[in-house]
Amino acid sequence: MKIIILGAGQVGASVAESLVSEANEINVIDTDIQRLRQLQDRLDLRTVVGNAALPSVLRQAGAEDTDLLIAVTQSDQTNLCACRTAETLFKIPTKIARLRSADYSQHPELLDTRNFAVDFSICPEQIVTDYLLKLIEFPEALQVLEFAEGLVSLVAVRAIEGGPLVGHRVSDLRRHMPNIDVRITAIYRRDQPITPEGETLIQVGDEVFFLAATHDIRQVMSELRQRDRPTRRLMIAGGGNIGSRLASVAQDRYRVKVIEVDEARAKALGSTLERVLVLQGDATDETLLAAENIDDMDFFLALTNDDENNIMASLLAKSLGARRVLALINRRAYADLLQADRIDIAISPAQVSIGSLLAHVRRGDVAAVHSLRRGAAEALEFVVHGDASTSKVIGRRIDALALPKGASIGAIVRGISRDTPGARLGLGQVVIAHHETIIEPEDHVILFLASKELVPKVERLFQVGLAFF
Amino acid sequence: MLGPELINEARVECRAEIVSKKRLIETLAGLLAGEHPRLQTETVFERLLERERLGSTGLGHGIALPHARVKEVTEVLGAFVQTAKGVDYDAADGEPVDLAFALLVPEAANEEHLHLLAHLASLFSDPRVRAKLREAESAVEILKALNTP
Repeated sequence: MKIIILGAGQVGASVAESLVSEANEINVIDTDIQRLRQLQDRLDLRTVVGNAALPSVLRQAGAEDTDLLIAVTQSDQTNLCACRTAETLFKIPTKIARLRSADYSQHPELLDTRNFAVDFSICPEQIVTDYLLKLIEFPEALQVLEFAEGLVSLVAVRAIEGGPLVGHRVSDLRRHMPNIDVRITAIYRRDQPITPEGETLIQVGDEVFFLAATHDIRQVMSELRQRDRPTRRLMIAGGGNIGSRLASVAQDRYRVKVIEVDEARAKALGSTLERVLVLQGDATDETLLAAENIDDMDFFLALTNDDENNIMASLLAKSLGARRVLALINRRAYADLLQADRIDIAISPAQVSIGSLLAHVRRGDVAAVHSLRRGAAEALEFVVHGDASTSKVIGRRIDALALPKGASIGAIVRGISRDTPGARLGLGQVVIAHHETIIEPEDHVILFLASKELVPKVERLFQVGLAFF
Repeated sequence: MLGPELINEARVECRAEIVSKKRLIETLAGLLAGEHPRLQTETVFERLLERERLGSTGLGHGIALPHARVKEVTEVLGAFVQTAKGVDYDAADGEPVDLAFALLVPEAANEEHLHLLAHLASLFSDPRVRAKLREAESAVEILKALNTP
C-alpha cells in the first residue's frame, strides 16, 4: 500500500515505524527537516519537507498514486485542510485525520465528503484515556481491549502466587465456571508465547490473555485472581492533555488528586475540575507525595510528557507505598525494561493508539485491530462476507480452517448490522469459539496472532474469492 | 465473443503510463463512466475500491479483474487497460499487474455474470492470450486479442 503520513512527531513517527516493515511504501511530510532526517536514518521511507496541507507538497509526495493519507500533525486545521486537498485534487481513497479538539466531533457533518472529506478521525489522547479508565476499573488487569462495538473484551492478567489459576490446567477453567463461556487465547511465560492447550498448566508470573463477553469479564476476573480491592483513590502526575482528560472523566467515580508542576496550568485545572484536588508541585518530590498520603493511593498514574519524570515518579510512588503504579513511556526501550519489574504497568501511548490506524491498513474487512506485546502480537476482528463458495472460512468448522500456527480464533459476534449503527447495541450475539463452531456470513471473527508475521496469511484466508460480487 | 456493448474501443486504453493500483482503478473507472448517462467516475472508482478491499482481484500472471455491482447499469459493462509497466496490485502470486479487465454488473447480478467472470479468468489463464495482449499496440489489437477463439 502507498501511504502518506503528515507529521513526523510522536504519533507520525510511531505509525511510520509500525507500517514500514509491512511491504508498504511510505512517504512522510513535515516542516522540520531534522525530524525527517532522524526518521530516515532509522527507517526505509521517503520524506518531503514542507507544509503538509499544500497541494504542491502533497503532489511531490506522490499523492496521485496514494491509497491512504494519515494526517497526524499537531494542528487539527492542517490535518483537515490536507484531507480536503487530497480528496479534491488527488482522489486519495482513504483519509484519516488526527483531531484533538472535541469541537469537531460535535459536528460530524463537517467531516463528510462534501466538506473536509475525513473518512476516519482519531484522537490518540482520547484512546489512551479510555484505555487508562479500563485499567482503573479493573485493577487486576494488565490490559482490557474491546471488540465488536464493545461486546467482547480481551483481557490480560498476570497469574499470581496463591491465585486460583496457578497450578491448574487451561481445561479446568470450564469446570470452574460452568455457566460462563470464556477462552484463554494466549499465555506468555517469561515473555515467550506458549500456545494454550487443554493440558497446559498455568504457572506463577504467566501473562494470561482471555476473551469473553464484556458483561462476563468481571466475574471471570474474580475467578482467575482473587479480586483486588476496588480502586477508590487515584493520584495523577501531570495535568496535560491526557492527565486532565482522565481526571475529568474519573472525578465522578473516584477520589482524584492531580499534581501539576506548572503553576498557571494547575490553577486553570483547579477551576475547571470541580471534584478534583489539584496540587501544584513536582511529582518526583517525595515530601509532597508523602504529605498527600501516597501510601493510601490505590493507583498512581504518571502521565507527564517526560519519560524520565514518569519513571522516577512512579518508582518513587511505589516505594512510598502506592498500591499500583503506571507510567506513560514513549520510548519503547524504556517500557520494555520496566514493566513487570518495579512499575506495575508501563504503557506506550503510541502502541495503545496504533491499532485504530492499523484497522485501515489491514487487507480485507477489518473492524478492529489491537496491537499487543509492544507490536509483536496482534488481535484482529474480521467481518466475513460471501458464502461457502466465495469465502475460505464461511460454512466451515473452526478446526477445519487453514489457520497458520500461532493464530487462533477466540470469539465470534453474530448479528451486528453495520447499516443500522443506532440499533446495534445488545443485538450482537457473542459466541465463544469451540472446535465445532461453524462460521456464518457477516460474522465478526476475533483472532489472536502470536506474531505480527502471521498477518498476511490470515488476511488472505479471510479475503473473499474472485467470484464475490 | 465479447460483444461491443460489453467492451469496445472507447473503453480500452493501451500503453497507459500508470504506476499504482490506485491510478489503474481510477483510469478504469474513467473509461467505464465515460459517455454513460448515469455513471460518474467517482462512484465507479469507489465501488471498485470497496470490492477490492474485501479481497484483491489480482488473478496472478499480471492479470486483474476488478469488478463491482452498481445500480446505475442494466447491462454488464467492461473496460480494459494495458499499462506500460506492471503496478503493485497485491495479487495472489505477488506479481505486478499490467493487464486489467474491469466489469460493472447490475445490482441483481446473476449466474450469467459469474459465467462471464469465469470465461475471462479462463481466457487470461492462456499464456498465448496474455502474450498477444502484451504485444498489442492499439485498442483494436487488444480487442482482437480478447476475442481470440
